[in-house]
Amino acid sequence: MTPWTFDEWFVVALARTIADREVVFHGFASPCAQVAMHVAKRTHAPDSLLVEGATYAVDPVPVFVPPTSNDLALHRDAVYRMRFEEFFDAACRGAVDRMFLSGGQIDAYGSTNVTGIGPWPHPKIKLGGGGGGGNISASIGTLTVWTTRHRSGRTLVADLDFLTDIGHRTREGTRAELGYTGGGPQWLVTELGAFTYDDEGHAVLRGLWPDVDLADVEGATGFDVRRDLGELALLAPPTEAELAALRAVDPLGVRRSEFADAELARAFP
Amino acid sequence: MTTFHLGGDKRASLADAAGLVRDGAMVALGGGLCARLPMALVRELLRQDRRGLHVVGSAHSIDVDLLVAAGAVAVCEESYVGFEQDLGLAPAYRRAAASGAITVRESCCATVLAQLRAAEAGVPFMPVRGIKGTDIEGLHPEYARATCPFTGEVLVVVPPLRPDVALVHAPLGDAAGNLHLDQPYVLDERFAHASAQVVATVDRLAPTAEVAAAGVTVPGHVVAAVAEVPYGAHPSSCYPGYAYDRAHLAEYLALAAADEIEKYLDLYVHVGEEAYRDEVDPVRLASWSESEADWRELFR
Repeated sequence: MTPWTFDEWFVVALARTIADREVVFHGFASPCAQVAMHVAKRTHAPDSLLVEGATYAVDPVPVFVPPTSNDLALHRDAVYRMRFEEFFDAACRGAVDRMFLSGGQIDAYGSTNVTGIGPWPHPKIKLGGGGGGGNISASIGTLTVWTTRHRSGRTLVADLDFLTDIGHRTREGTRAELGYTGGGPQWLVTELGAFTYDDEGHAVLRGLWPDVDLADVEGATGFDVRRDLGELALLAPPTEAELAALRAVDPLGVRRSEFADAELARAFP
Repeated sequence: MTTFHLGGDKRASLADAAGLVRDGAMVALGGGLCARLPMALVRELLRQDRRGLHVVGSAHSIDVDLLVAAGAVAVCEESYVGFEQDLGLAPAYRRAAASGAITVRESCCATVLAQLRAAEAGVPFMPVRGIKGTDIEGLHPEYARATCPFTGEVLVVVPPLRPDVALVHAPLGDAAGNLHLDQPYVLDERFAHASAQVVATVDRLAPTAEVAAAGVTVPGHVVAAVAEVPYGAHPSSCYPGYAYDRAHLAEYLALAAADEIEKYLDLYVHVGEEAYRDEVDPVRLASWSESEADWRELFR
């Protein structure tokens, strides 16, 4: 078996959250999700419909994944490129099955803050912003939420400084109460482990990476760590096919820009 | 009321084109992230010392950050401003948000789209599917909630967005202001129809027959002025002519992060557009089409 690094394994786990025959989309500034979609398409989800980030190209075969997501390298030779309007209309009416979302902060219900850290109106750190997430996180079929910064202790928080994108509930109420048409987060994958969501829409820890202890997760998580641990296929070692697909689509290693150096040093088996 | 711009030759100097943008104007910025941004117009607005702009757009980068750094902006209403994982947060935008030098009225791509469509259609509002219960809603006193008369659903509704001017850069256009763009068009078509006027730059002016054969994306009847400015989107990309100039962007970010924007303005803005263009390396930025290895090299 070819050795692999943690960043590769993490992207493979994200890819496995995609089912075949799903319409799947990633936002910009999301290299791990971007690479994961192409890994899924080339392995277990050949009939997924992949909408490429900021180019809205349908099922492109990128020359390589560049570090900026509105670039011709991503959509060269795509047979069809949606218009901006066409994609957002599809996402708002519920025709898109899955989107990947991350955030500077993520709460127990999978809502995210990508707007700013610290009190508004003068946040200590103005983050980039949510793109289209404020609407389409409400209406897309289901969400895969991810972060590569769980260990910092500042990412999975009890209370968001600002709620940009919608998880299973906001301060105002649940998805049902707010009338959101989409299903909300299904998975939360972090560099420490993977969570699903219970009937209350609260995250439940389902698996740990092999070099991580429960104490690592509890120490780094700002909300109650509910758990239901067992064998989790999502976190099984990558296959040769998955690694080959990943390495082919991301020769620049753009995915690595999401990780701290210590995480990049994690090597397996 | 948005009216068409009829007749005549729309060609203008860059200075005259940018002169159509007034202090305090609401300015829609074309392009997206770091592609096909109207950078020559942005630089010219700074040469003309424009102030108090309300900038609107979807996802943007050096266009907004540079305008903010130079003190030209009062209100930012984009869905994202930054340089993604490649080069990180937008330093001037971040600093101005923290100090209160700008008002951040962050929006969402789909909300901006709904507002532009309301302006285009001449209707007083449009409903959106999300936003309800997010803190984005709280940044916008101009939004409201309304009950659908047919289904009883309570939705966030948003008013029309009618920019005073849309700044658009195109690889190709003609003297009548017809513009050809390559996909993704991002919001440029919507901005063109919802705004009072389009002010455009093109890398190359061509005969109408050539632009028509390439395909007209933005028609001349919504364009007030067009200036021929080669490399008018640089340092953002405008394929097939030029890729993203990563080295230039990194230099900008280093100066902006160190709060030395005056140095950048002296080097690249105050010198004038012709001198700016002399600094562009056309061979390197066109090398993407030589081979995959050359293309990859542009991102290292």
